Amino acid sequence: MTNGLRRKKQEPEPLPEPFKVNCQTEVEVKHGVGLHARPSVTFTRLAKSFPCSIEIAVNGSDVWLNGKSIIKIMGARIRKGSILRIRADGILAEEAIRALKELIERNFDEEKKHGRTA
Amino acid sequence: MAEPLRLKAKSASPGIASGPAFLAGEPKAPSAAERPDAAPASRAVGGYGALEKAIDISIGELEHLADGADAESRDIIDFQIEVLRDPTIAEATGARIEADGNVVFAWVATLDAYIGELEAADEEQMRARAVDILDIKNRVLGALAGTPIADFPPGSVFVGKDMEPSRFLAHDWSKGGGIALFAGSTAGHVALLARAKSVPMVVGAGRFSAADGDPVSVDGNAGAVILQAGSMLIAPLTPAQAPAADTQTAGGELRTADGVPILLSININDAAEIDALDPATAGVGLMRSEFSITSVADAANEERQLAIYRRVLEQAGDRPVTIRMLDIGGDKPLAGLEDLPALSGSGLRGIRLLLARPEIARIQARALLRAAVLGRLSVMLPMVTFPDEIDRMRDIFREEAEKLGRRALPHRMPPIGMMVEVPSAALMLDTFGAAAFFSFGTNDLTQYLAASARDDIDADAGKAAPAVLRLLAQAVKLTSGKPVSICGDMAGNPHYLPRLLAAGFRHFSVAPARRPAIRSAIIGLNADGTRAAGE
Repeated sequence: MTNGLRRKKQEPEPLPEPFKVNCQTEVEVKHGVGLHARPSVTFTRLAKSFPCSIEIAVNGSDVWLNGKSIIKIMGARIRKGSILRIRADGILAEEAIRALKELIERNFDEEKKHGRTA
Repeated sequence: MAEPLRLKAKSASPGIASGPAFLAGEPKAPSAAERPDAAPASRAVGGYGALEKAIDISIGELEHLADGADAESRDIIDFQIEVLRDPTIAEATGARIEADGNVVFAWVATLDAYIGELEAADEEQMRARAVDILDIKNRVLGALAGTPIADFPPGSVFVGKDMEPSRFLAHDWSKGGGIALFAGSTAGHVALLARAKSVPMVVGAGRFSAADGDPVSVDGNAGAVILQAGSMLIAPLTPAQAPAADTQTAGGELRTADGVPILLSININDAAEIDALDPATAGVGLMRSEFSITSVADAANEERQLAIYRRVLEQAGDRPVTIRMLDIGGDKPLAGLEDLPALSGSGLRGIRLLLARPEIARIQARALLRAAVLGRLSVMLPMVTFPDEIDRMRDIFREEAEKLGRRALPHRMPPIGMMVEVPSAALMLDTFGAAAFFSFGTNDLTQYLAASARDDIDADAGKAAPAVLRLLAQAVKLTSGKPVSICGDMAGNPHYLPRLLAAGFRHFSVAPARRPAIRSAIIGLNADGTRAAGE
């Protein structure tokens, strides 16, 4: 596994037309999960399972943060009542948006987390 | 059977050792400093690779830990793994490597920035994460430092052109063995380490041929290498390991024949040597931190340094310990430091290097400030040349103390003194008001006074001694009553003791193996250096 240290801020590979997808959604965080590490881990792990770029912005902010970065997600101070915008660009972007939105609506799988196997 | 072949060499550390030869290969990849043509970029790429590997190793370790961990621990470990895989951190580290070239400090600076942000957070849950990130920062540093040095079998006689101090330190000498160098120097750092650990060693044997495993003897007393052409081992000799037992260990008190109290401390090079601190020892007069912190990854690891200093201070109990800050640069490289383009070939060393790369000094200062609460610690600055160098280092200590205070970490400001080993400083000691104490380092003083390379000193040390002794006697008069000691090799040589006593020295710090000889010499002398009646 590589950490991408060698990767500079390179442009994503140009994609064939049918795969180019750019979509966005908005979701309200209903439960007070926010700050702590566990939901952030769940979120970034799911985000990273998609090949597209994923960014988030909180409460109408214009600052888009890398949705695959736990440091950024935690730093975004997502709290109960926060409006989270998620946008994705690239392959499987639509699926990614849908899955991440559902994860938030499911309260980051908080209650299931310890019951399931890895 | 052929007669054993006896090669004349120079004794670097006394004692006799026999064992199978271990033939050290010629130094493999030349260091970056020796490859001026190597593009910095290519080195930096190698550095990326090392960091990526260290991160992967750390993730592997964490995944291993996660197996069978309870749910709560697994959450923490998952979080740590996710931080290690964070693309933002990778990007920030990559940018710092591009700017500066050093992987280790890029990693530390990036993680420290996040740790600082988390520590400043309003939410307690966020602040609590800082320690998890500190932990992975150190785990990766540990993995970076962990590249094992090619060791050789215990009990072997190391045969080669020269030997790296890190290799000496990583080896287990408790099973005996010795060192025979084709080249080398009796004043080199490995010779110093060998004497401290009582490992028989000779240098300057010239190139000789032996096969791996051939029986070889090193006679560090007479200065010879004995090669046996046949398969028979030369009569096994008990390895000269432990220094001769000191019979006069009653209490730490030591007085000259006419009753003047003298302090006799030991010099140590790594934390393990603190075990030589017996009740007759006044304390540790000099710990050379650069021999326990042998890579940039360790130099960047505050917690690891703290652990080393803690061990020394706890063992020393209520006796004083003086730790010298990293004396690196020049002929004392720190593995990984050659990645810093600004330093290669600059000749910076000692305090000048620490002030030029304050991130190294700041980490060590924090570790020392935190260690100071654990015992009687003093800090000594290496190669001080001008008074403002002490002021600037004091500022660093003050700033780091404030930061530790904000983080509510226990710490204490130790007395900060200086090595006197640069002639210009020795001549101007009365202008070093900021130094809390002085300790004379005679090896470098001799080298710089005699304008000789460290490797040549053994030819000149005797001849240069009168000049060194005269400078010492003058310098002691300029110390305005501050504590003064002498920790160079000269202090461990009974031959110079009368003149050092006459110059006014009352505190000597020597290699543990030299202590019994110096102790008995002091007992036979008056405080003015004259021989006591009846001796």
